[in-house]
Amino acid sequence: MTALLTGTATSVHPRSAPARIWNVVRLHLVDRRTYIGIPWLIAGMAFVVTVFMAQIIGFTTGGLGTADAIAGQRYSWAVLAPQGYLIAVGVQAISFGFPLALGFGVTRRDFYLGTALLFVLISAANALAFAVLTQLEQLTDGWFIDTYMFNAIWLGIDGFWVDLFSFFVMQLLVFFIGASIATIYMRWRMPGMLIFWSALALAIVGTVTIITFTSNWPAVGLWYGAQGIAGIFAWLLVPAAAAGFGGFLALRRATPKN
Amino acid sequence: MNLTEPAVRVTGLTKKFGAFAAIDDVSFTVETNKIYGLLGRNGAGKTTLMQLLTGQQFATSGTLEVFGASPVENARVLQSLCFIKETQKYPDSFRPEHVLASAPWFFANWDADFAASLAQDFRLPLNRPIKKLSRGQLSAVGVIVGLASRAPLTFFDEPYLGLDAVARQIFYDRLLEDYAEHPRTIILSTHLIDEVSNLLEHVLVIDEGRILMDQDADELRGSASTVVGKKTDVDAFVAGRDIISRDGIGGLASVTVTGLSEAERAAARTAGLELSPVSLQQLIVQRTTSTTSETASTTDAWSARS
Amino acid sequence: MIEAGKPIFVQIAEQIENDIIDGVIEEETPVPSTNEFAVFHRINPATAGKGVNRLVEDGILYKRRGIGMFVATGARQRLVDARTDQFRANFVGPLLSEAAKLGITAEQVASMINAESVTDRNASNS
Repeated sequence: MTALLTGTATSVHPRSAPARIWNVVRLHLVDRRTYIGIPWLIAGMAFVVTVFMAQIIGFTTGGLGTADAIAGQRYSWAVLAPQGYLIAVGVQAISFGFPLALGFGVTRRDFYLGTALLFVLISAANALAFAVLTQLEQLTDGWFIDTYMFNAIWLGIDGFWVDLFSFFVMQLLVFFIGASIATIYMRWRMPGMLIFWSALALAIVGTVTIITFTSNWPAVGLWYGAQGIAGIFAWLLVPAAAAGFGGFLALRRATPKN
Repeated sequence: MNLTEPAVRVTGLTKKFGAFAAIDDVSFTVETNKIYGLLGRNGAGKTTLMQLLTGQQFATSGTLEVFGASPVENARVLQSLCFIKETQKYPDSFRPEHVLASAPWFFANWDADFAASLAQDFRLPLNRPIKKLSRGQLSAVGVIVGLASRAPLTFFDEPYLGLDAVARQIFYDRLLEDYAEHPRTIILSTHLIDEVSNLLEHVLVIDEGRILMDQDADELRGSASTVVGKKTDVDAFVAGRDIISRDGIGGLASVTVTGLSEAERAAARTAGLELSPVSLQQLIVQRTTSTTSETASTTDAWSARS
Repeated sequence: MIEAGKPIFVQIAEQIENDIIDGVIEEETPVPSTNEFAVFHRINPATAGKGVNRLVEDGILYKRRGIGMFVATGARQRLVDARTDQFRANFVGPLLSEAAKLGITAEQVASMINAESVTDRNASNS
């Protein structure tokens, strides 16, 4: 009977693993607003707010260029303004990206590797951009108006390379925390969420209790200080990697929700 | 891809959710380049079966081969599949244009011109956020991807929720035209049996996780007739036959039986009995309800959606 | 156009036969392709193919390599002959047996038919 069908049957030439993984990266980036547009819009708005705040503070305290004013602006978290949004992006990369990718015939492995590669690439790009902006801000004496947004918290203290490394680790951690929470949900649904959040709460309370009851807070403080910025962020690579690998193992057996 | 091999070969497949067997020891094959209807009531196991065939769910037991291998985490197999489901999720910010832009990265046979013309046929606004699309427009996105992907094995799981009659007809027409030009294996799951029955070459009916019918659609279509007449005459005629369903009012009886030859039909007519054909939908409704209940109000179960 | 409860391929074959008998499709001219039938009638191409195949087996259609299906020479006459046999079996036989039951002779039936066809002709003329 098929001889009567005049059309030619469809077949597919398999794509190589690198091509498949790269296509997952492209899938996440097909709407560029998600990873690039909106985070930079938030950063831009944070900058505008920072400029206004600096001008108001400068007006009321009588001078922006003073060492006090520069040090005061260190306490601003404006530089991390996009991070809250980016945690949500990490969640959605899994919660929406996974069902979509599976619908597109992507394996869980390729999807996770592509998503992880995307996180690394975006983290590297953001780290480079923020580290460069931190340097530019120093070179221009706060954009010529004594306004410092990027030289804040730990950034702009230990130089370009530490800024680059620390921002990269922080960004990666943000993405993987969001992604692994969504992965736990994807794999174990509500029971998984309950167990995860109670375990996390228990671990934090337990650690704080143990340190307090053994009167070890000074020792913890000392250890913390001894690590330096680069050292602390090197340690933060551990939870980032744990979330990354744990997410991979969990997602390999996950099923998308209907 | 070996075309003489079946597209799907399933043996003793079972999928349990806890103690509940959504798919219960099912065996069947799907031949390549045919249009299959996967029919059954809501909750019969259609979606679970398709999720198993596309590697989205993991089987509890049994074997499952798609193009000669397990589809689970198998990139070669999965690249040949396209699974369009009613409940497909998209990233929050996505617009239809994003779906159409990314689909060719995953479907090697993607035809962008075809996708664009389908979008026009369905009047799909390409740059409206998917969140703001109507139910029918959302279904159109899936239908366009399913058709334009030209995947060697395409699954449509109730693809047209919210599509109006005109749009559904467009879907059937485009499906047939494109299938004729680019033969491929298509598995269409639906409860609108009457609308699609002429498109199908083969029918799989699933009920309570089991395959109830696995038959050539055309054979099935001519396989049953309803005999109507005086109760005594009808009873005499259908005695000893395979009775699918029985109905009656007063002294009148209406009985649906299988396998009447031309001679038997003529005999029935001369005996003063009325013979009427049974549509695929009626046949399947009678088969799937007779196993669960004796009631005659059978069509409700099909027309009402949960 | 396609009715329920009867194999579609049979209906397709019958429709092509009707077109040949009516002279819509002449001998040695091509019939539409399987795909054209499928799209036109909104049916599965394989089913349409089955209908066409049935006519090929009966020698009504034949395949020209690379071009398509054509109506064979003498196909119309053979169809008319076959249908005439069917007509006799399906209508004339039952007609006469019913007539016999009512005590109507074959001659009376013939004159009834003559009268009927005259009124028919008059009706269509006026």
